[in-house]
Amino acid sequence: MLRYIAFRVLIALVLVWLVSTLVFLVLHLVPGDPAELLLASGNTAPDPEAVAALREQMGLNRPIYEQYLTFLWDLLHLDFGTSLRDGASIGPELALRLPRTLELIVAASIIAALIGVPLGTLAAMRAGGIADKITSASASLALSTPVFVVGTAAILVFAQWLGWVSAGGYVPFAEDPVRHIKLLLMPACTIALGLSAVLMRMTRASVLEVLERDYVRTARAKGVSRRRIIWRHVVRTALVPVVTILGLEMGTLIGSTVLIEYVFNWPGISGYLVRAVEARDYPEVVGIVLIISFIFVFLNLLVDITYALLDPRVKLAK
Amino acid sequence: MTFRIDRRGFVAGSLATGTMAGTMALFGPGALRADENKMLRFGLSAYPPSFDMWASTGTAAGTVKLMIHRGLLSYGKDGLLRGELAESWDVDENGVWTFKLRDARFHDGKPVTAADVKYTIEQVAAPDSTAFRRSQMALITKIETPDDKTVRLTTAEPIATVPHWFANFNMAILQEGADKTSTVGAGPFKFDSTERGVKVVVTRNDDYYKPGLPKVAGIEVIVYSDENLRVAALEAGDVDIIEYVPWAAMSRVEEDPNLKLDTVPGPFMYLTFNGSRKPFDNPLVRKAVGHAIKREDVVEAAFYGRGAPLHHLPLDPSSPFYNEDLAMGWDFDPEKAKALLAEAGHGDGFDCTMLSTAQYGMHQSTAEVSQAYLSMIGINVTLDLPDWSTRVQKGNEGQYDIAVMGTAAESNDPDGMTNVLDGSQKASFVRSFDISIPAINEALAKGRQSFDPAERKKIYHGMESTVIDQSPMVFLCSRAQGYGTAANVSGFKNLPGQLTFQSGVTLEDAMFG
Repeated sequence: MLRYIAFRVLIALVLVWLVSTLVFLVLHLVPGDPAELLLASGNTAPDPEAVAALREQMGLNRPIYEQYLTFLWDLLHLDFGTSLRDGASIGPELALRLPRTLELIVAASIIAALIGVPLGTLAAMRAGGIADKITSASASLALSTPVFVVGTAAILVFAQWLGWVSAGGYVPFAEDPVRHIKLLLMPACTIALGLSAVLMRMTRASVLEVLERDYVRTARAKGVSRRRIIWRHVVRTALVPVVTILGLEMGTLIGSTVLIEYVFNWPGISGYLVRAVEARDYPEVVGIVLIISFIFVFLNLLVDITYALLDPRVKLAK
Repeated sequence: MTFRIDRRGFVAGSLATGTMAGTMALFGPGALRADENKMLRFGLSAYPPSFDMWASTGTAAGTVKLMIHRGLLSYGKDGLLRGELAESWDVDENGVWTFKLRDARFHDGKPVTAADVKYTIEQVAAPDSTAFRRSQMALITKIETPDDKTVRLTTAEPIATVPHWFANFNMAILQEGADKTSTVGAGPFKFDSTERGVKVVVTRNDDYYKPGLPKVAGIEVIVYSDENLRVAALEAGDVDIIEYVPWAAMSRVEEDPNLKLDTVPGPFMYLTFNGSRKPFDNPLVRKAVGHAIKREDVVEAAFYGRGAPLHHLPLDPSSPFYNEDLAMGWDFDPEKAKALLAEAGHGDGFDCTMLSTAQYGMHQSTAEVSQAYLSMIGINVTLDLPDWSTRVQKGNEGQYDIAVMGTAAESNDPDGMTNVLDGSQKASFVRSFDISIPAINEALAKGRQSFDPAERKKIYHGMESTVIDQSPMVFLCSRAQGYGTAANVSGFKNLPGQLTFQSGVTLEDAMFG
């Protein structure tokens, strides 16, 4: 067991290293010079000598292998380096922003599960009925509407027409818990809309399948109450694949909440990544991608290990 | 076998959904609004990429610089030069400029002295400097400080535009010995705190050298990168002022009784050419492009009508350097354009690529309209629309035939267009690639050295007619640049013409009511 885990951890670490190296190299191939871009932000032609001086200060005129080795050496010391633009330390910046994105994703997942699972179950119970048709149609609509449309519409209705919430933004929980949650709700619900549709469909299919199983019929025959059968025997079993899907979706959401963070001005890690890419701030981009791939790889590892623990049929040896 | 879910079970299961809606409903209108206090809230379009006060890091950064710092001069609401840390300035017959400093203090209480000005100039001109004004400060050959309040500057050649150098927001006077990122300034607001990428907070400087200013307790600068959200934030009352009102939303802001829209025509769109290869190495072909595009359609498509066609240099009719006789230099005349192409030996037209960016709608729309009009005179344009950063690089390296560009001049003086017009400088995405017209470069140099308004007017008239004739680039339209404010905010003003991006200087006057 321990050997299996050690082996998987090793693989995961190699993967993370590969991803970061690849990103480091590809970034330097993409056109755009960070020094030139920074000094041209006013859409004026920067002084060529000033650009040369800045390149020197940013360390960009060192050979790329040297820059790479510095990057690796720092990484071994858990140092993510500093931003090319203003010299801010990247590690603390990641530590500040990552939890915000994670919070958004977790909140969205909870809301999505609370909507998707009951509705999916309902649709399966009434398969072919009106409720099924309505929920399925709504799910299709929710799935096919891009988040930025939903987000913009939500801002229009809730912030501009009704004035219930601010038009986006972020307040730390410690500063103002109520406002924090209110600001969290709109972006979280927007992500949850699409996600709940996925979960709803998955739940519906899964419940339908479980309903056909023998043990359900046996339970019926033994006179177990309908409610008990559904919530205790059917839904619980049916939820296993749903949870897997939710886990995968959550992994994907880290780094892909870009549009949501943009539309709602949520200062998380995705928006940070986009701005870093735009400015060609190499160390920032590499640092962010590194942390995202790290989380993704280790989430998967966690799932694998959990499977192994739960299901003795999964072989632990490689 | 059918299963029915009973009501209680379903209700329990979807309880969360109901709770959510209920909770939302409980938050009454206005409950989220900030308490009414005297902090002004400014919705900025970007977080300052760095706090290097002397480097050109964009408009958003410039607005923050203008809250904290002051230069020797600035531009007033009328667009004219006015004294800031310098109360007066003068030039003698040898072209030596003298600046008299007023009694101003930095935020730490120390007086602003001639030594600070000297230090600033020396730092900006230093060999490792990344400053915007580096090349200009390098032209200063001698800095004299006869007393604490007097600075005398000598340049190799007499230069008439020296005061403009010191009015730009990238030329803040920092304390002697200070780092270039210093937030200890002599400006109307003191730096308080910042959350990188999110906001900057400044508070009133009670010792500001203009009595009675500023009129608010401070400014909370909140970054809204998404232009639509920025407008939404203004409409929802989350902020009091926003910059860069998107053109699509201008009418909405204008018609809203709770808001005010302040626009000026200023920044302009133009086409640059690659002169290092055929066919745009030929002035006739470039001039043909100038006559082929109907500017009104660019204004309509890219700016929702919020702009003005530009058939000449971007000089406003109100400018003393505006030339009535050249106003329709590149008039829309497809027949003339075709004739010019035929004269250049391209009567049958040709294929070429146009570089723009898909990142900014106005750049893309301008490219699309130009493409359509060029096809009418036989020029088949293929659009190249990478992200902005790539577009900058391609522009710098001349990887294009024609390119769409938009910018503002440094000032309303014709010399402020040097950046765009002077092709003798190193290649840049803001200029045409490898097109240097000696007559234009010389006119710019002469205009800089002349102190006689009548003579300068003549020099720039000659230059404008050369620009139209040789068409090193072709101007298309000016665009309205807008700030939106809440109706109860007054004092803040959008500076005229090319100075619009310096408007942050008027935040010292901003007040509620």
